Amino acid sequence: MTRTSNRFARFVIYIALAIFTVYNVLPFCWTILNSIKLPKDANARVPRFVFSPTGDNYAELWLNMSPEDFAPYGLLLLLIIFLLFAIAFSASRIPAPNSLVYIGCIFVGVLVALALPEVVNTAEFYDYLINSVIVTMGTLCISLTIGALAGYGLARYRHVVSVYILVIALAFRSLPSLALVLPFYYLGQLSGLYDTHILLIFCLVAVNQPFTIWMLRSFFMEIPREIEEAAMIDGAGRLRSFVSVIVPIMWPGIITTGLFTLLLAYNDFLLARILTQINWTLPVGIAQFTGGEDPGHVTLAAAASVSTTMPILFVIIFFQKYLIRGLASGAVKG
Amino acid sequence: MKRGTFAAFVGPSVFIMLALMTLPLLASIVLGLHYITFRNLNEPLWIGLRNYQEVLADAEFWDSLEFTLLFIVAAVPARIVLGLLFALLLDQITRLRGLFIAAALVPFVMTPVVGTLIFRDMFDRGGPYWYWMQQLFDYRLFMNGTTVPLLIIFHSIWTATPFAMIVLFAGLQTLPQESLEAARVDGASWFRQLWHVAIPHLRSLFVFIGLISIMDSYRVFDSVFVLTQQNPIFDSETIMYYNFQVALSFGRLGKANAMSVLTVIGIFVVLIPFLVMTYREQTEES
Repeated sequence: MTRTSNRFARFVIYIALAIFTVYNVLPFCWTILNSIKLPKDANARVPRFVFSPTGDNYAELWLNMSPEDFAPYGLLLLLIIFLLFAIAFSASRIPAPNSLVYIGCIFVGVLVALALPEVVNTAEFYDYLINSVIVTMGTLCISLTIGALAGYGLARYRHVVSVYILVIALAFRSLPSLALVLPFYYLGQLSGLYDTHILLIFCLVAVNQPFTIWMLRSFFMEIPREIEEAAMIDGAGRLRSFVSVIVPIMWPGIITTGLFTLLLAYNDFLLARILTQINWTLPVGIAQFTGGEDPGHVTLAAAASVSTTMPILFVIIFFQKYLIRGLASGAVKG
Repeated sequence: MKRGTFAAFVGPSVFIMLALMTLPLLASIVLGLHYITFRNLNEPLWIGLRNYQEVLADAEFWDSLEFTLLFIVAAVPARIVLGLLFALLLDQITRLRGLFIAAALVPFVMTPVVGTLIFRDMFDRGGPYWYWMQQLFDYRLFMNGTTVPLLIIFHSIWTATPFAMIVLFAGLQTLPQESLEAARVDGASWFRQLWHVAIPHLRSLFVFIGLISIMDSYRVFDSVFVLTQQNPIFDSETIMYYNFQVALSFGRLGKANAMSVLTVIGIFVVLIPFLVMTYREQTEES
């Protein structure tokens, strides 16, 4: 639409957007401040923006040992993380397929994360992180694999059956998850699967599946049929042409869908709260800070909040383009 | 694509959905007809429709439904109007656009439990919003039965406006340029362009955002859990939250299942026109 050239109007627009931005990020900034405060600063009647910072909250949250004892391990850990990132970023210069390098880096990272509690005396919160990572990765892998297959099938098979499946999926998407999770809870209690990662992963995959196939299908629709037809004329089967021709050009769509799946799995509270008892994920672990009058809770809760949010913010900043594209495409049906 | 290949591609996904969504739904219908608590998990007692009678006679159920509807009526239009407003502002500028959008993503991607927790801290005694309200308007905010429901609604607007903003902003970039040009030639003001070109063009996006918002608002849970601190005095239970309480706090699994069957029926009544619409759209396409 027509842009205003009035200087005053433009000034007002920038001011309004700046206020909107502050309103969006201020709570998180305040939490970062709280997370490095002593309880007496955090519980002051007048908000304190200047104080002497402390790392105690993070140490108490993550460690069952003194920060001094942890320091050498911490440095080693930082070094490993730095090395992994360096390798991942220079993947194109290494004489191996890029995807192999990424998978190798992720694999080493997961190994280090799992081995850490053997060496360092970590606190419960670390276990929640590990649970969250396992559940999120599991959901992501299963959901995207079967979702991509189905999305592709639905995009290519022109028959009323595809429409039925899509409409039913849309109906499923709108269900309150409690309607699904209570029977899961009941069956889990009976079968002994209650409080396992598997049950939670499959529950999340199921809840997420309708959305995944809708979104992936709409991305597959944009790919012209001629591409895989050419591959099939050359003698490749459907699956073969799907894996070696379609998937490589579909990466942006798969990453976009994956981001939404990741957000859903990582942020989920209700399912994890109901289906776990001690194998909590991060959101459930944080909810323990929501009640109670202990003055130390405010700073600990702030440290836990920042710790939980940082990974997701990093991922989102890194893949922001894809997320916005996904939102903008309007493919987020339901 | 042949039928067999199609079945092979779609099979795993459909199987998961059937096994993990249809079966639980059927199970909740069956469980809803039984009296089940944590003590008799293995031998549920058949009581027919008594759970349904109990739910429908439960004043708290109706209260929670009322608050859920109030929540929808208050939050959904606010999200759309604010989203449109900021999308239009973003459309006016080019510099710093990326920064404004990135900042707006923060409340949207943040784990809802965390988001609510830090949102509450802002309004709790000693938080910046609490302090500024006291300084500027001489208003001392207490967490009570009036303010907590308002905060729950406000929090949902805080987290969901960016979504509406980004979708509508993307929509604004695809306006038909010829119509805009024609409007400009005719000397139409910005407001007339908005009213006669942009809003009609964005209509389907409004429907889309509205539906998603209604569905999400209907199942709002996390923010209620955190903001009420599981304390009933705040009088702000949503239907999902009350359902959760019946199941886990009161241990009435049968009654809770009956309740979720009722909520599923409720959401379907709202959804049927949309499902029919999608069905028509898709059959025309293929």
